[in-house]
Amino acid sequence: MTAATNAIKTPILHRLSALRGWVVPVAALAAWDYCAHTGAGHAYVFVPLEQVAAALWDNLLNGDLELSWAASALRTLTGFAIGATLGVALGGVMATWRIADALINPLYQAVRQTPLMGLIPLISLWFGNDERSKLLVVSLAAFYPCVLNTYEGLSGANRRHLEVGRIFLASRGQVFRHILLPGAMPAIFTGLMQATAFAWLSSIGSELFFDPGPGLGNLMLNGQAAFRMEVVLLAVLVIGLTGYASTALITLVSRRVLRWRPVWQA
Amino acid sequence: MAFEHPDTASKLSIDRLSKNYILDRKPLRVLLNVSLDVAEGEFVSIVGRSGCGKSTLLRLISGLENDYSGDIRLDGQVISRPGLDRGLVFQDPSLLPWMTVRQNVAFALVNVDLPAPEKAERVAEHIDLVGLKGFESAYPKELSGGMAQRAAIARALVTQPEVLLLDEPLGALDALTRVRLQNELQRIWLRHKMTVIMVTHDVEEAVYLGDRVVIMDPGPGRISRIVDVPHPHPRDRASPELHALRDAVLADLTNGVLS
Repeated sequence: MTAATNAIKTPILHRLSALRGWVVPVAALAAWDYCAHTGAGHAYVFVPLEQVAAALWDNLLNGDLELSWAASALRTLTGFAIGATLGVALGGVMATWRIADALINPLYQAVRQTPLMGLIPLISLWFGNDERSKLLVVSLAAFYPCVLNTYEGLSGANRRHLEVGRIFLASRGQVFRHILLPGAMPAIFTGLMQATAFAWLSSIGSELFFDPGPGLGNLMLNGQAAFRMEVVLLAVLVIGLTGYASTALITLVSRRVLRWRPVWQA
Repeated sequence: MAFEHPDTASKLSIDRLSKNYILDRKPLRVLLNVSLDVAEGEFVSIVGRSGCGKSTLLRLISGLENDYSGDIRLDGQVISRPGLDRGLVFQDPSLLPWMTVRQNVAFALVNVDLPAPEKAERVAEHIDLVGLKGFESAYPKELSGGMAQRAAIARALVTQPEVLLLDEPLGALDALTRVRLQNELQRIWLRHKMTVIMVTHDVEEAVYLGDRVVIMDPGPGRISRIVDVPHPHPRDRASPELHALRDAVLADLTNGVLS
């Protein structure tokens, strides 16, 4: 569409084009439903949408869905709070004090290479298989991206901005507060966004690896054990939607905090 | 060489200033025995080819660089580090992007001991002075190049410095905006009559604004000639005398290249 046709779009067309994002999901659902009704064998894999909807209704009614969601979400929030706070703090310390960087960085780089799921057997041995270990996994998942991005953001300060600080005789604290930290905010928020996604995914994942307990991952496992595909699908849907919503939320916050950011970066 | 008393009658006195950088373990002579006296309230333009050290000279006066031999004195005091008595405007506005115009200008006063209402008043005054009234709450991303540079000038002036240093302040702007801002600079300077040193590559601008034009040569950087521009301000850009002076300076600058 050329700029000219965009300019003369009527209000109705404008609203319709906003719905473009829905076309593929709706088409996929329609195709799914078609496959679901073309044979009993297909119905096992392509669970008819009515069944998923029925499962949604049932689980809502008996409180299962809310409880599971709340358990996973609460663990995610707690783990995110712990991991992100410690991660940003450590990234800040390493970027500010050279000696901290020299001491911690090598160990950090080594541990970082190990995929989180690979640490699970170790965590299981040291801390057991209960809720505490799951929380540790989530915290770690949020921790890593925050350390890295905070460190990069604070270290990569614009030289000219620092000179502006020098001209006005800014103290170290003033430089941090007015120049380094605001300048690092885009990177820090990148870290927070990654941490949000990783925290949610690892919250579900930890339910699959450790002892059973309330949570969406467990809802999924139970459904699988009972051969109830519609419950599994329901869980997957809710997990996906929650992930999408949390990313959207933090994006909204970052847009407000980073409203000064130019579109093009010089 | 006998020690000469620095001239304390001038506002800024630079005496046999030399600066070296180390490049590949060899000394690179950027400035050699530069001497210049600037009187109070004078507007001095500095022009020169690339590599003549004019920006380094300005950075040394501002205190951002300080490893030099020779003397730089402001009101008789040796300069060796940045200070609020010297304002500096870079070629790029260098506004902090996360601060509004008002906050950017106010940042200059972060280490000035004044009550908050007085600071706010000074900030508003200077934003008005550079013609940005109404844009106090704008972010740098919302400003044009000319407006951003005006904000940078306001920020440099709000500390009421003794000397204003401008490092190719209009170099990044288009020709029309440059002419407008030259007039603005002249207006602001006439109002406050502070001492100004401006580095520029635009010879016409140097002659139009400056009381004196310092011509520098590279290899190593030194002052080749100082041209007086004894015309009263405000000046007529179209006057034949100014054009003649501009041509003379240009001829001097291109001498080394064309001969």
